[in-house]
This record gives sequence, structure tokens and C-alpha cells, in this order.
Amino acid sequence: MTSRPVTFLSRAEAILGTREAQSVDQGMRHLTEMRDVAVAEFPIMDALRDRARVIRLHALANLDRLLSHFADQVIEQGGEIHFAADAEEANEVVARILEATGSRLVVKSKSMVTEEIELNAHLERRGIEVVETDLGEFIVQLAGDTPSHIVTPIVHLDRHDIGALFAEKLGVVETVDPTELNQIARDHLRQIFLRADAGISGVNIAVAESGSVITVTNEGNGRLVTTAPRVHIALLGMERIVSRWEDASVILEVLARSATGQRLSTYTNVVTGPRRDADEDGPEQLHVVVIDNGRSQILGSDTAEILACIRCGACLNVCPVFRTVGGHAYGTVYSGPVGSVVTPGLLGMEPWWELPYASTLCGACEEICPIRIQIPSMLLKLRARAAAEGRLPGWLERGIRRYTTTVYTPTKWERAKRLAHWITGPISRDGWIRRLPGRGSGWTAYRDFPRPARESFNTWWRFNRGS
Amino acid sequence: MEGPTVQLVVTCLVDALRPNVGRATVTVLERAGCRVEFLAGHTCCGQPAFNVGMLTEARRMAGHTLDLLDVTQGAIVLPSGSCADMMARHYRELFAGTDREQQAERIASRVRELSQFLVDDLGTDLRASCDGCLIAYHHSCHGLRGLGLRHQPEELLSEVAMAELEGSDECCGFGGMFAVEMPAVSAAIMNEKLDRIEASGADTLVGGDISCLLHLEGGLRRRNSKITVQHLAEALAGNEQ
Amino acid sequence: MVATLPRPPAVPELLPDLEAVDVVGLFRTRAQGESVVVHGPVGRHGVPRAVAGIAAGHGCRAYMAWEDLPVPGVTSALTGAGVERVEHRVPNEMRIPHQTEYQGLDLGVTGADAGLAESGSLVLLHGEGRPRMASLIPEVHIAILDANLIERTLVHWAHRHPGLVFETANMVVVTGPSRTADIEQQVRLGVHGPRHLHVVLFR
Repeated sequence: MTSRPVTFLSRAEAILGTREAQSVDQGMRHLTEMRDVAVAEFPIMDALRDRARVIRLHALANLDRLLSHFADQVIEQGGEIHFAADAEEANEVVARILEATGSRLVVKSKSMVTEEIELNAHLERRGIEVVETDLGEFIVQLAGDTPSHIVTPIVHLDRHDIGALFAEKLGVVETVDPTELNQIARDHLRQIFLRADAGISGVNIAVAESGSVITVTNEGNGRLVTTAPRVHIALLGMERIVSRWEDASVILEVLARSATGQRLSTYTNVVTGPRRDADEDGPEQLHVVVIDNGRSQILGSDTAEILACIRCGACLNVCPVFRTVGGHAYGTVYSGPVGSVVTPGLLGMEPWWELPYASTLCGACEEICPIRIQIPSMLLKLRARAAAEGRLPGWLERGIRRYTTTVYTPTKWERAKRLAHWITGPISRDGWIRRLPGRGSGWTAYRDFPRPARESFNTWWRFNRGS
Repeated sequence: MEGPTVQLVVTCLVDALRPNVGRATVTVLERAGCRVEFLAGHTCCGQPAFNVGMLTEARRMAGHTLDLLDVTQGAIVLPSGSCADMMARHYRELFAGTDREQQAERIASRVRELSQFLVDDLGTDLRASCDGCLIAYHHSCHGLRGLGLRHQPEELLSEVAMAELEGSDECCGFGGMFAVEMPAVSAAIMNEKLDRIEASGADTLVGGDISCLLHLEGGLRRRNSKITVQHLAEALAGNEQ
Repeated sequence: MVATLPRPPAVPELLPDLEAVDVVGLFRTRAQGESVVVHGPVGRHGVPRAVAGIAAGHGCRAYMAWEDLPVPGVTSALTGAGVERVEHRVPNEMRIPHQTEYQGLDLGVTGADAGLAESGSLVLLHGEGRPRMASLIPEVHIAILDANLIERTLVHWAHRHPGLVFETANMVVVTGPSRTADIEQQVRLGVHGPRHLHVVLFR
């Protein structure tokens, strides 16, 4: 017996109707409401979105020059720069830096790209302890779970889940009070921050002119991770860069508003090199790791525009499919509308070709995106690529082909309509069908299907109006 | 006095499943002063094939559509935001860089969704009427976000009692082939939409796209709802058809 | 040889005018909305007393401060209020033992290089005499801000001060006390950074 491959649909079906699904839906609606309020309040938001799009597309069009300048500046400011072609190289670079600096305990702030390359697992295999400090990521790590949303990683868990988890793993008295839960996490992690040998962070946006890396957090862990330990390693996807600090400020103004409805995140942390000689504190060493891992290939493809994404998560929050099934259904690091475009590019069409089909193409993502990225159009391009590669299921391809030939020939179409009406007589009542056989049963499992009309519009027109 | 001549493209779903919507569209256009022409032999704009990525088949159907329409004059009117969007926007992409590029451009620039044509082009004072109804309006996604339709259906419905429908501009979950490829997810989105429609207190659901409406109506029937469903053209045409 | 860095096309109407407002008033409203306690504007001479008062109100025992606070007399006022100053320079050697002595630190006093009215934010440029930890480790952070340094938004401020990014290894824009909403989307303060943020405005 061959087992069914795990698909988006099977993962989605496992989540539908569960408490997790409900939490996700409520969470996403809340974030979208907050975003709408913040945008309505800020009169220059639309102008800044237009500008943000110009800035990001310009950066992608000039990426090699920006990265080259950025690299020079990182060195000029006293840091070290490393370019990694793929996940393996990036992981190896980080492991070697940590080993060379004798770093055994590492604190980490949230970074999608480190999840993409599976950095933690690689470091753990080298005997390095990595502690996630972003509260949601800390909880995910503790639970051995995976994040279900790129910005709010534990939207699928509630206070009871977390209370039980802390009691089990941290040996504290079980509580479900969120204030107490936060205090437990703060106390536990505070010790670790101040004792850690190295800090690893992601980068929300890098600035080419100064070699700066910017991280935004609400909790303060982004600051602690990049300030307390003697070594700071910052990792970024090579596309996460703008030309100048003024350009970064535009991105920052639209980022938090789109993500959570905050005007700015609590801490916008701009790091330009390691600690300077006269500085009172800060890391001695800064290493910046710029990662390709498939991005240059996407850059040269018809979905290049997806690299303009600033990872705000708004498209996830507003997507009817994401709201209904949550991030786990996508089965990979980048979920939702942006994930459906970028994943086939980064991880290949097999098996990720089906993600672009997990969409109704409603366009809400494009409408909400602060960079006005044309996601539906890229989903269609990826669907065309999948079809051209012969990935569509046989029944679908045959069905469409048959439909095309039938509908293309008026006499065939007329005959098909008459036949459809006649054949559905026995299974219809009041013009509706409760159960269709075969492929149609997917429809009628959930809703009635209309019986084809006795007299089509074409026929009516011919007999009543036309020559 | 004769008004403009328009080419009616009813869409394959209306043709086969809901011809009454086509008849209502004719009635409405004629009442608005138009001379309606309909091409025998026109069938599908190619959206189903385009939607799944089968571009060869999409181009075949679209090419057939272009050829038929290219020998006609006047606005091309469709009682469907999604098909109008397909023809007005996606035909350009589909044929960019091919020998049909100009033709696609010519046809695309003539395409109008029904409410768009009535309100923006004709400035009609036709209004829907429905005595004693409380109507919930569903804004279909392609019409709303693809073509920017919002005030047009609202104006045409300005003389009927409208229910406050939360999430009226949220997707119904149909998504074309999505409904067939991912039925459970499509239905979950549909059910959330139907919960909101029922909560609005409306007794009638009206929309501009029969694709969304058949999906929602099928769901309403499954939950034994008393809510009736009408296409905007039917609400405008009233009982005379 | 450093290549010329391409920049996105300049546009005249990049930052459309916002309706004129009293930026100090807007700053106060927005900062308070982010759970910041805003004091003043007081005269320069009123600042030390205000700071000492806040410290006493929180029962602070030990503080860390920037060397170049924008007004004099703050450190003596704190000493007078019985709050002990701790050494803030972190040596590269013995970093960890030094930092683990932060346990008792409950107050950080800093200046601020700008205020941003729209978001109620502070801009802190760290460096010589200005430890980052002062606004990060303690439960209470007091920032002393010259009200004349308040600008409208981050984008306006950044466009007016383009070169600032080169001047410091660490520039931080602070918008309220530390918080998280990861647990059930409910906002809670005081996660890894300060739980209480006070801004003492002066003219």
C-alpha cells in the first residue's frame, strides 16, 4: 500500500474545525483591524507605500551594487562580512565563527532566514546551545513545535497550552495568567542573555550606505541579543536591503503599521559595526552573513518582485485561506500568500508547486501589501509553470482539455449542455443536486450543485431574438 | 431613440446554469436604452484554463473569443466581475508579445462589467427594487479588487433596504478551480461567509458574479436557509423577464 | 575603490505636508498611548527634582546613567534620594561576571537625541559615555528630552538628518516600554526591556 503524500490539503483538513484554526482566525482578524486603524490614522501612509515600492524595486534592480557597497561599509565600520551561497555554507560560516570565538551558549532573536536554513539544528549538532529569546519562538522551541505565522508564531496556542508547557519544562508552578507567564519567561531568559557568549539576530532591513543592520522587536530581546554578548552574528537574505538610511526610515514607517497596527515597534535597533573604542558597552565583534539560498534564481525569474517583501505578515493576516487553516498547513517556513510565491522559488517546485494553488486569488494580499507586491499575478505565473511541467493531476488536465474542445465548438457545447440537463434529472430536486458522483462529490460534500438549465441562454436567444 | 449598441457576453456559467441571469441582463440593458447584440457561438473567456495555469488552452478559448468580438462594435458587457476582469486585464498578459497583442488590447479596452457600464458609462437612473426585502450584497473579489467596482453596485441598490453585512468584501471561498481542488478549505471559508450573511438578518443575498452566488446558494440550501439569492441583474430587472 | 551607491529616484513630493500640530502635545498624547509617562515640559532646573521624584516613586536603589545628560544636577539629585550609581562601562574581559552584577540595577537615566511626535518615540544615539544597557536592563527607564528636539515622524527626522546613521554603532528608536502580545494577542509590558518608561520634557 502506498501512503498518500502529505499535501497542503491533507494538512489543512487536519486543522479545519480545531481550536487552533479558531485561534488563528481570531488572531488574524484582530491584526487586520489594528492595521486598518493605524493606516486610516496616518495621512501619508499611501504616499509612503508608493515610495516603499519604488525603494524596494530599485534595490532589487541594483542589488549587486548595493550589496557590494554594503560589504565594504561593514568592514569599514569594523565588522566582518560573509556571503553564503546556500544554507549549508551559511550554517558552516556561523558554526565556525562560534567555534573560533569559543561560544557555547548562544541567544537568538527571531529570524526567518535562520529557520529557512535550519541553523539551530546545525549548531546543536556541533554541541552549541541555542536559546530562542523572542517569547513566541522561545515557547515554540520549548514545545518542540514550529511557528504557525511569520510574525505571531504562537497564534495557534492559548494560555492553557503555555501554562502547562512552562510547568512541565521550566519546573515552575502552573499558571494561566498571561502576566505571570510573561514574568516567568523574562526571569528565565534574563540570566541567559547576560551569560551568553554570542548573539544571533536576523535583519529586518539592511542599509547599504553605512553597512547598518536594523532589527525591530517589541520585547527588547533584539537589543539584548545584539548588545550583551561579545559576539553578534547578523544573518539576512540578500534581498533585505535598501540604499540609504532615509530609505530604511520609509520601510520602517510602513512595516509595523502593516504588521500589527503599531506605529513603530517598541525597539528599532540600528547597528553599525561592533562596539567602537570609546563605547561603554556592545559586542566586540560583528559578523554579517548575507545569504543567497535560491534568491538570485528568483531574482532572474518572473517572480522576482516577491523579493521586495519586507516580511510584515499583513498578507497572511488578511488571506481567507490562511485565516481558515493557519501557517502549519503550508508545511514550511514561509506561509500564506508570500510563502506561496517564495517557497517554490527557494525550495523548488517539488513538492511546493501546489502552494500557489492554495489560493482563491481574491487579491486581498496585494491590496494590503505595504510594497504593493502583485502576489496574485505571480501565483498565476507559478501555476502556469506547474502546468507546463506536467504537475497537474490527470483528471484536472483532462477535464480542462475536454472542456476547451467542447466549448470551442458550438454544436458540441450545445449537445453537452442538453445532455447535462437530461442526465442530472434523476439526481435533482427543485433544480438542485445533493450528491454528485466522482470528482463532483468534493463539491456536494459541502453544498448543493445547480442542475444545468433546460434551455441555455444561447438556445433562448436563438429562438427568441436572433437570426 | 436608440442608445448604444452593446455586445453581450453572458459567460459560460450563466449560459449553462443560470440563463435567467442572461435574460435579466438583456432586459436591463434594453431598459437602459441599449441595443443588445449577442454572438451565437461565443462561449467561454478562457478563465478556467487560465486559472489552473493551462495557458495553451486558455489562449485557444480566449483567441476564439477575440476573433468573434473583433468583428463587432460597441461596449462588451458582462454580468460578471471575474470574467470582465479576465478579459479586461488578463487578456493583455496572455497575449503580450504575440500576434494577438493588438487585438487583445482592442477588445480589452471595450470590456465592461454590467454595473460599471450602467453607472459609469450610461449614468443610468435604473435602480433595483425589492418590496419588503432586506438585501445583503456580496462584493465579488475580481470585480472589487481587479476592476475597482464598489460604488456602482451600491448606487444601483440605493433604493432598496440594505443589511449591514460584516465582511461583505471578503472572499466567499469559491476561487474558481480552488473550489474543486481544495473543497474542504473552500467550504470552510464559505461557511464563515454564510454565518455572517445569516447574522446580518438579510432575507436576500445579491451579488454581481454567478460563480460566487451559486457556491453560496448551494451552501445556503445545505443549511436549509430561507435566504433567497439573486444576481444584481435580476434585482434590477425585477419580475419582468 | 568604493563604487558610487545607486539611490532611488528623488521626488519633490516625497514627504507630503501633514496638517500642522503642536508637536509637543502630540508627542505627549501618543507616548502616553504607548504607556509612557510624560512629565513637563519643566524648566531645565526642574529636571533633577523630577527625576529624583520618579526614582523615589518606584523605590529605586541602584541606577546607571549617561555621562552627558542634557541638564546638570541629575546625578546629585539621585544620590540625594539615596539611589546608588553603578559602573556602566563593560570591559571586554570579564564581560559576563560584570553583566551578571546587573541584578540589582533598577533604574536607567538617559538623554534623548530626538523625540518623534507621531509615534511618541525617543531616539537614542549610544556611544562614549552613553551605555546601551541604561535603557535596556533596568525595570525603570527615565529619558530626559529637550522639547525642542521633537520632530513629527521618523521619516521626516531621518530625511533631515541623513548622516546620523554613521555617527554611532548603535542608534535605537524607543516607542514605549518593552512589551509582547505573543500570548493570545494580549499586550503585556516589561518583557526583556524596561517595564516603565518615563520621559521628562524640558525647555
